[in-house]
Amino acid sequence: MSRDWSQIDSMLQGIERYNPDNIPILEEYVQYQINENKYNLDANLALLKLYQFNPNHFQTLVTAHILLKALTNLPHSDFLLCKFLIDHTRMESEGLLSKIVDLSDLLERCQFREFWHLLKRDNESYKDVVSHVKGFENGIIEFILHIVSKTYQTIDFNELKEILGDLSNDELDKLIRLKSWKKQEDNFVFVANHEENIKTKNIVEKIKFEDVSSVISTTIRAQVAL
Amino acid sequence: MYHQDSIENDYDYPYYQQDAESDVRVVIDLDFERQQQSYKMNDAVKSFITHFYRSIQNAKIFEITHDYEYGWNMLSEQYFKTTTWPSVESIESMIPNESMKSIFLILYKEMYFRHIYASLQGGPTLEHRFESYRNYVQLFNAILSAERPLDLELPIQWLWDIIDEFIYQFQSFCQYRAKQVKKGTNAPPNVVEEIQMLKQNIDVWNVHSVLNVLHSLVSKSNINKQLEVLKHATLSLTIANPSGNIDQSQFSKHQQELLMDLENDLFAQSSLYKMLGYFSLVGLLRLNSLFGDYYLAINAMQFVELDIHKQLLIARVPSCIITTCYYVGFAYLMMRRYEDAIKVFVDALIYIQRTRTMLQAPTRSLLNDMISKQNEQIFYLLTIALNFYPMRIDDSINSYLKEKYSERLLKLQRGDRDELVNMFHYACPKFLSPVPPNFEGVTDQYLMEPYNQQLKVFLDEVNQQLLISDIRSFLKLYTTLPISKLASFINKSPEELKSILLCFKHKMSNIESDQVSEEFRSSSEVDFYIHNEMVHIADTKVATRFSDFFIRQIQKTNEINTNLKMVPI
Repeated sequence: MSRDWSQIDSMLQGIERYNPDNIPILEEYVQYQINENKYNLDANLALLKLYQFNPNHFQTLVTAHILLKALTNLPHSDFLLCKFLIDHTRMESEGLLSKIVDLSDLLERCQFREFWHLLKRDNESYKDVVSHVKGFENGIIEFILHIVSKTYQTIDFNELKEILGDLSNDELDKLIRLKSWKKQEDNFVFVANHEENIKTKNIVEKIKFEDVSSVISTTIRAQVAL
Repeated sequence: MYHQDSIENDYDYPYYQQDAESDVRVVIDLDFERQQQSYKMNDAVKSFITHFYRSIQNAKIFEITHDYEYGWNMLSEQYFKTTTWPSVESIESMIPNESMKSIFLILYKEMYFRHIYASLQGGPTLEHRFESYRNYVQLFNAILSAERPLDLELPIQWLWDIIDEFIYQFQSFCQYRAKQVKKGTNAPPNVVEEIQMLKQNIDVWNVHSVLNVLHSLVSKSNINKQLEVLKHATLSLTIANPSGNIDQSQFSKHQQELLMDLENDLFAQSSLYKMLGYFSLVGLLRLNSLFGDYYLAINAMQFVELDIHKQLLIARVPSCIITTCYYVGFAYLMMRRYEDAIKVFVDALIYIQRTRTMLQAPTRSLLNDMISKQNEQIFYLLTIALNFYPMRIDDSINSYLKEKYSERLLKLQRGDRDELVNMFHYACPKFLSPVPPNFEGVTDQYLMEPYNQQLKVFLDEVNQQLLISDIRSFLKLYTTLPISKLASFINKSPEELKSILLCFKHKMSNIESDQVSEEFRSSSEVDFYIHNEMVHIADTKVATRFSDFFIRQIQKTNEINTNLKMVPI
C-alpha cells in the first residue's frame, strides 16, 4: 500500500514537469494526500499544468480534490494559483467544480456562516467528495482562527461559535485552550493583544548614508578637480 | 541601364534619402533591388559582413559589440529599411572555410530573420517563420550538444536579444497560427494551403521544444547553482570581509560542495553559457506567465536577486531588467502579493527614469519605443496595485503618478469596472494557450480564451475585495468607531460588516518575499483591530521628506556646473 513518494520530486524538476506520462502517478499522489491529510502544492500545480497542456486527460474529480486541498491551506493563495490554470468554462459547466468555487468565494469573503451553511446543506453531491478529504474541516477552522486572531482583540463567544460552524461548547473550549486564548467572564474571548502592535505610526524623516553618498562623492570629485 | 546606375549612385551617396525627389524613385526601385541582391551586393555591406566575421573569429568583444549594436543597425536603416538583408546563401562564399564559419552563418541568419520580423511590411511569411525556427534549432543544438563549451564570445546584449527574440517569435507564431486557422476552409486557396502546412508541421514552434531549449540552457550552464553561490559570496563580501577576498571557510558544507562542482564545470565557467542560462530563467518567467502559471514563473527566479543593483551586477542589459521586473511584478499582482508587486514596479520605474537619457541613442529607436510602452504598462499595473493596496511609495514616482494617472486612479477608486478592464487589457502580457488550435474548426473565442481566462479569475478577486476600499475610506476618518455605527454607514448588518472587516485583514496580509520565513504582514496605510464591538484604528502619518528634494537640487546644480565647465569660453 505505502509507496515511496520521494520520486515525485524528480518529476517536478525542469522539463520532466511537462511529461504527460507522469499524470497517473501524480493523480495517485493526490489521492494519497486526501487520504493521509498531507499536502504538496508543487505537485498538484504540476498536475493541473499537465491537464492544461493535455486537455483530454482532464479529470474532474482529481481537480476537485486538488481545489479542496488548496482551500485547507488558506490564507495562502493556493486556490487562486490553481484557478489560473483551470479552464474557466470547465469550472462553470462542471457542477462539482462550480460548487467548490462557490465555497471558496464565501471563504475568501470571510462569510463563514454562509460557508458552513452551504457546506452542510443536504442532498448535495459534493458532500460526499468533501467527506473523503481527510482533515478538510479542521483546515478551514485553522484558517478562520488565524484570521480572527489577526482581527479581534476580544470576540463574543457565541459569535466565534457561529463562524466556526456551530461547534459545541466543549469543542470550542478545547480550541480556545489550544490557542491559549482566554474566555472572560463577560462572555467575550480574549484573542490577542493588538494594542501594542497596531498603533498610529508617525514616520519621521530619516536620512540614510546611501541617500547622500552620491552627493558627497560628486562634491568631493568637484573639489579635487578644483 | 538607368536603374543600375541609380543603385550605384545611391550607395555612393548615403544621405540621398533626405532628397524628396529620389525618395519616390526608391520605392519604385525596391523590387528591382531585391532581384539584384543575389548577385550584386554593395561594398559597404560586404565589408561590414567580413569585418563582423573577423571580429567574432578573433573574439574581439569590443568590435563585435560595435558591429552588432551600431554597424548592423546603421546599415539596416540605410539599405534594408523595407527589404531583407542578403540571404545566407549569398554571403556564404565571402566567409573562408574555417571552424567559425558555420556558427557565424547561423548567427547571421538569426539576425537576418530578426530584421524581417521587425521591419518587413506585412510581417514574416509562414516560410520565414518555419525557417527561422529551424535556424534556432541549429543554433541551440550547436550550443547544447557541444562536448566542450563553444569557443565563442558574444556581447551579453546580443545573448539577451537571442533568447528574447526566440520567445517573441514563438508568441508571434502561436497568434499567427490561430489567426490563419480561424479563417477556416472558406479562406482563399493560399490560406488553405498554409493551414495544411501548419497542420503537417505541428512540431514547428512546439511549446515543448521551446520549453526544452530554455530548461536545457538552464541546466547546462548550472546557473541556479552559480546564483546560489554568488548570493553567499556577495553576502560574505559585504558583511564579513571588506578586503574583497572570498573567505571560503565561512561557507557551509553545502556551499563548498556547490563551489567544487562549479570549479569542475567548464560550461559554468563560460560566459556564453552562463549568460544564456541566466536569460533563460527570465525566459521561463515570461513563458510561464503567458500560460497563467505564476507559481512556476516566480519559481524560475528563486535564485535571482530581484534588487535592481544586484541584477545589474549580473547583466547590464536594460531591456532584460525591465522585462524581469514587469513579469515578476505582474505575477505578484495576480498572486495577491500587492506589496511585493508595488515594490518591484516602483524599482523598475525609478530605473527607467534614471537610465532613460542613456537609452535614447538614435540607433535604438525600436528599443526606445518598447521601453516607453513597458514604462506605461508598468505605470498602469502600479495604479491597479495601489488601488488594491494603498501604500507609500517613492516620492518622484508618486508625483508623476498623481500628475499623469490621477484620473484613472480616481475612476478605479470609484469602482469603475470598464476602466479597470481597459487598463488590465493594455497592461497585461499577451497570454497564450499551450495547446495548438483544433484544425477542424476554431471558435471565435479561441484567440481570446487565454486572456479571458486570466481576466475572469482576476475580476473574481476584484469582486471579493469590492467593499474594502469603501471601508478603508471610512476608517481613515476615525480613531475608534463602534461596529454598529460603521455598519449603518454602509447599509449593512453588523454581521455582514464583520465579514468585510475579516476579509480586509485576510486580503491585505501579504506573504513576505523572502521565502524562508513565510510570515504574513501588512504595511498598508490603515490598520485596525476589533475590541468589544469597537473598531480601533491606527493610521500612518508621514512627515514631509525634505532630503529627497535637497539631494535632487544639489545633483541638478552639480550637473549644471559640470556642463558649464565644458562650455569653451
